[in-house]
Amino acid sequence: MRRIYAYFISLLFFLSAAELVAQDTVLFPLKIRLGFDLVGPGMYIYDNDHLSMEGYVSFDKSEKMSFVLEGGYADYRYTQYNYDYQSSGIFTRIGVDFNFLKPEISKGKYWAGLGLRYGLSIYNSMTPTYEQENYWGTFSSSIPESSGTGHFLEATPGFRTQLLRNLSLGWTLRLKFLLSGGGGKDLKPIYLPGYGNGEKITTLGINYYISWSIPYKTKRVITKPVVVEEPEETEEEDVVQQGSGFR
Amino acid sequence: MKRLSYFFPALIFIYYSLHLLSCTPAACFEETNAYLKASFYINSTKQKLPPDSVTLSGLGQTGNIYTKASGLQPALFPLNSSSSSSTFVIRINGIDDTIEFNHSSFPHLISKECGYSVFHSLEMHTFSQHNIDTILIINRNITTVNEENIRIFY
Repeated sequence: MRRIYAYFISLLFFLSAAELVAQDTVLFPLKIRLGFDLVGPGMYIYDNDHLSMEGYVSFDKSEKMSFVLEGGYADYRYTQYNYDYQSSGIFTRIGVDFNFLKPEISKGKYWAGLGLRYGLSIYNSMTPTYEQENYWGTFSSSIPESSGTGHFLEATPGFRTQLLRNLSLGWTLRLKFLLSGGGGKDLKPIYLPGYGNGEKITTLGINYYISWSIPYKTKRVITKPVVVEEPEETEEEDVVQQGSGFR
Repeated sequence: MKRLSYFFPALIFIYYSLHLLSCTPAACFEETNAYLKASFYINSTKQKLPPDSVTLSGLGQTGNIYTKASGLQPALFPLNSSSSSSTFVIRINGIDDTIEFNHSSFPHLISKECGYSVFHSLEMHTFSQHNIDTILIINRNITTVNEENIRIFY
């Protein structure tokens, strides 16, 4: 009977080993990425009054999540029939990207997911002239340059594809939510670098990034985990009981 | 996945179009003048009632703001943004009075489309008492919001 008992234990080990062999893994390259936005400079060709340049650095924590730091500079001028406006400044965003693709599809080459960001904008703005007409005539004045700070949040769904070795292209939509724009209730910024129209609670943006990645580590990702099938307890117990019955 | 990236040119075309549209000065549909809003009350009964006739003009200005207006409630007084005081001659039911408002003025952004307005803060006021008995200040902030600022008892 001891042989039968030993046979069952061996069988259990064998089945476990068989499951381990069936497990699927993918070698996933974790990367540091440097990217530069093409939309801002492209837009500047169409509209010389609006320059926005930005880039990012990201660091893959795992196959699902990356830490992201973005930064940029913006210069904006706007002329309306009754006022002129200028704003320039720097901005930074910090956050995370989540990759919704499975590692066996993504393979470190493709990314489709959602990012979350906190944004900080530090800017100077001024209104060289503004005019208003009423019963007393035309009133003209200006608002001198002043500095301000804005805070905002972003949700950034997007896609990225590796076209050449370590060179990727990808686009990101930016759904922005203003926390505070600076300027007080009377002089809200017409343009907030990194955010857009500072008088609106939500704005929309888009970026098209070209990015270069540096693999720094390869991670073995289990795509099909071990499924340990629990042995049918009643049969085993029966056998053990029978075995002890023979003693 | 690559197809998704190729989808981008269409997306960016739409974005550029929207951006160019946003750069085009849009029409302004908001009120851009901040008026001092004055309601009329009968002094004897304290009842809110417009005078039979109101003529209003700025001191030293040619042209009236209102000319023999009837049923006027409220009257909108445009303050002088170039000065810290605005003086008006008001004729209520044929009798002239003078009201002087002292105020501070400051710019306020209405919107990107409309630009700036000048808001005021009412500091003090003086008036003659030919037909006017009392002027009460209800709200010192002169903005584009439709809120009563003063009550004129006549």
